[in-house]
Amino acid sequence: MKKILLILSIVLGAFSAQAKINVVATLSDLGSLAREIGGDNVSVTVLAKPTEDPHFVDARPSFVVALRSTDVLIDGGAELELGWLPPLLQNARNAKLDIGKPGRVQASQGVRLMNVPANVTRAAGDVHALGNPHFGVDPIIAKAIAQHIAQSFSAIDPANAAAYDANYKKFEAAINAKLQQWGAALLPFKGQHIAAYHDSWPYFGHRFGLEIDIFLEPKPGIPPSPSHLAEVIAQMKAQKIKAIIVEPYHDRKIAERVASATGAKVVDFAQYPGALPGTDNYIKLIDTLVSRLAAALK
Amino acid sequence: MRPIRRRFSRNVFNLLSHQFLLRFRNTPRPRFTNASRVRDGLRIHFLRRDSPRALIARILIGGTFADTINFLMTKFFFKTLVAMLLIASREGWAQTPTPAASATASDVAALREQVQALTETVKALQQQVKDQQATLEKANITGNQGPQNEGTPSVASAPLPTPLPGASAQESFPTTDSSVVANAPTAPGAPAVNANGTPTGQFPTTDESVVATPAGAISSATGAPPTETSTRSLTQPITIAGGGKNYMNISFDGMFALAGSSARDLSHIEVGDHDPQQRGFNARNIELAFDGAVDPYFEGFANIVFKLDNDNETEVEVEEAFMQTTNLPFGLQLKGGQFFAAFGRLNPMHPHVWDFADDALVHGRLLGPDGLRGVAAQVSWTLPTPWYSQLILASQNGRGSTGFSFRNPGDNGIFFSRETTDREARGLQDFVWIPRWENSVDLSPTQVVLAGVSGAFGSNETGANARTQIYGGDLFYKWKSAHAEGGFPFVKWQTEMMYRRFEAGRGVDESFPVAETFHDWGLYSQVLWGFRKGWVAGLRGDYLHMQNSRFTDDQDRQSRSRVSANLSWYPTEFSKLRLQYNHDFLESNFFLADREVDSVFLQFEFILGAHGAHKF
Repeated sequence: MKKILLILSIVLGAFSAQAKINVVATLSDLGSLAREIGGDNVSVTVLAKPTEDPHFVDARPSFVVALRSTDVLIDGGAELELGWLPPLLQNARNAKLDIGKPGRVQASQGVRLMNVPANVTRAAGDVHALGNPHFGVDPIIAKAIAQHIAQSFSAIDPANAAAYDANYKKFEAAINAKLQQWGAALLPFKGQHIAAYHDSWPYFGHRFGLEIDIFLEPKPGIPPSPSHLAEVIAQMKAQKIKAIIVEPYHDRKIAERVASATGAKVVDFAQYPGALPGTDNYIKLIDTLVSRLAAALK
Repeated sequence: MRPIRRRFSRNVFNLLSHQFLLRFRNTPRPRFTNASRVRDGLRIHFLRRDSPRALIARILIGGTFADTINFLMTKFFFKTLVAMLLIASREGWAQTPTPAASATASDVAALREQVQALTETVKALQQQVKDQQATLEKANITGNQGPQNEGTPSVASAPLPTPLPGASAQESFPTTDSSVVANAPTAPGAPAVNANGTPTGQFPTTDESVVATPAGAISSATGAPPTETSTRSLTQPITIAGGGKNYMNISFDGMFALAGSSARDLSHIEVGDHDPQQRGFNARNIELAFDGAVDPYFEGFANIVFKLDNDNETEVEVEEAFMQTTNLPFGLQLKGGQFFAAFGRLNPMHPHVWDFADDALVHGRLLGPDGLRGVAAQVSWTLPTPWYSQLILASQNGRGSTGFSFRNPGDNGIFFSRETTDREARGLQDFVWIPRWENSVDLSPTQVVLAGVSGAFGSNETGANARTQIYGGDLFYKWKSAHAEGGFPFVKWQTEMMYRRFEAGRGVDESFPVAETFHDWGLYSQVLWGFRKGWVAGLRGDYLHMQNSRFTDDQDRQSRSRVSANLSWYPTEFSKLRLQYNHDFLESNFFLADREVDSVFLQFEFILGAHGAHKF
């Protein structure tokens, strides 16, 4: 038995000694950032599909296989993956991914979360005790996550540290330049109110000076009730709201009904690259979001 | 030592029962609470009550036999199918909204005015808070590692660093924002944007109010507690507001059922200990669960269950309490304590995650009403294969009613009509050995299959060298939409089958007339369809074949089948309402006649506190 284990470990060691470092990202926005920073030196696996609800992903056993041999895990943190990541990590038994090790990047580290509830009660719906975890859509926060990822990669693969640093600087410069474009595109609509199916856009709104504060869900995670929708419609008419943001996993029919009752447009948004056509990386995703919203608000 | 008199009378009784007690009908159960007392009671009841003539009449009338498979394929299978279709078609209408707002226009206007007045005052207050926090924050940031401000974090409140509200479009969009990214200036060559200060003609690219310096986050590599506490000032308020300061998660789960049944002995119809046990209200699973990291090497889990018996007396059960390693090399894991054996799919799951209000027949009868669990040690190994493959081996005492088919002395020392021994383990052969091998592959990005084989081997208490072997196979398939919201819609199909070889010896001092070997087997198959967010419809078929015996009149050895259909509504993941219909068919055997039972359960459940993640 011991011999078999020894041979197996040697074989495994040989496999893992290949050049690329293995990276697992729970969500595709984190995966995209990892690709920007890692370039050809990393191979990235993304667990959740970009089109599905990130809170309710199945902890399927194949994810255990991915986590078992990976060098780096990038997760959103702030209880975003609370429903599915812990049992995966329990089964993966990969000490490199412990919190505090360089192989673990929690994107929420160092991010100041919005909407932290003063009182944690589930009577308020599916609120996050630590604050709203949908922060990836703020490009400035994305830069910070990218920097965090670059530090992790450098610690694990010091030989290529210079490349990671250079990639980070390139990404940062790209975001800085893009921010000028995005800011200019949305500037005319500063201060406008916008409706959304679910409260996943406070960071996006904060960045570009938009008030995304009317929600089709009466409380986070609670399906829209007819009476609540009636109120929303009245409010949207009164405030002349022009856009309703929905994500791929929301019930678009409900948003369409509200839109036809109010004259607003349904805007398909997504937090995760790959969920909308032509959004295979982070910058393209924000590009798409900004242009779609600007078109709808015109 | 047991009284000799009792042993003698038992032998006489056994003799009598084999001679005379052929085929009598089931009668309503007398009010006894445990199985063997009931059994004894029944025998006496019959011997005393019935005149010889009545007995003979009973024998002649004898049970009629209905063919199970025919039954399954015809009446009820069809009925439940129709029910499922109805549910499906109803899904369509459920979405049409009903016009709400019944208040008059003037009411609404008045309310709106009030709300506006209130929002204005709130805004004024918010402004005050903002100002105060801005000053506080400046103090904090300059202090760099100063004490953490305990207030709410300031993203929401910090002034947006966007310059130029009405300025010309030529001026650039800021590319930093210190209100989101703290101490971000590590950014090399970033344009000098004063986050809170005057506009420099650029959209800010940093934001100290949203992001703390990641350098601070990462440098404290060792001994970091499992939340963001290791970072510098800015993340700190998060943990204060939202917990993460606990050494363990605590949750409370209350599960209840209102039961109606055509049978008066529901506790005999329902095979699981957490299933409804009487007509009317049942509280069979009220549990406290604790879990958390013990230290850097272990994590711990405990589950204490409270049940109310049919006389509303509280029973307490240490259902699980175990520790397991967190980071052994080579994909190994050790586990020790009291826990459910990893046998099949249903056994290791807690009743509150079951898809039906009651236990599957084959599980309850072969592994026991409590499932197979006990004080044990387990080692598991994730194989280094490209697909998911895991080997598990556990060894447990297997003593008592939670080792039902093993070293179980039975109620009042009787099991399958034998007077049992109740002894210490003589050696390794007396432990229950439970191997399992499970494999899983993704058929497509939306479909997963998990299949496993399990075994449980040990000795039982019905004879000096009596052994028990149980084999099981399980298959689980799940499809979930790529656009799933809250985990819906999905379809999952689960099937399990088990076979038990049980050597029933002659009991203590060979007091029972014969030794027998029982070959018992059964299976269940269930389909669950989450057709819209929060709604699940389910259909299950059960079959259990218990080998017929002319010597053992145990009521639990009756072959039977069941069809169940249910509809569950989860208002959120923390509450549940479930309506279930069961049709049971109990086959006749040497001692018992056949009968059919209809039951309806309304199950309701709530969960408080941390809700652990679900395994696949």
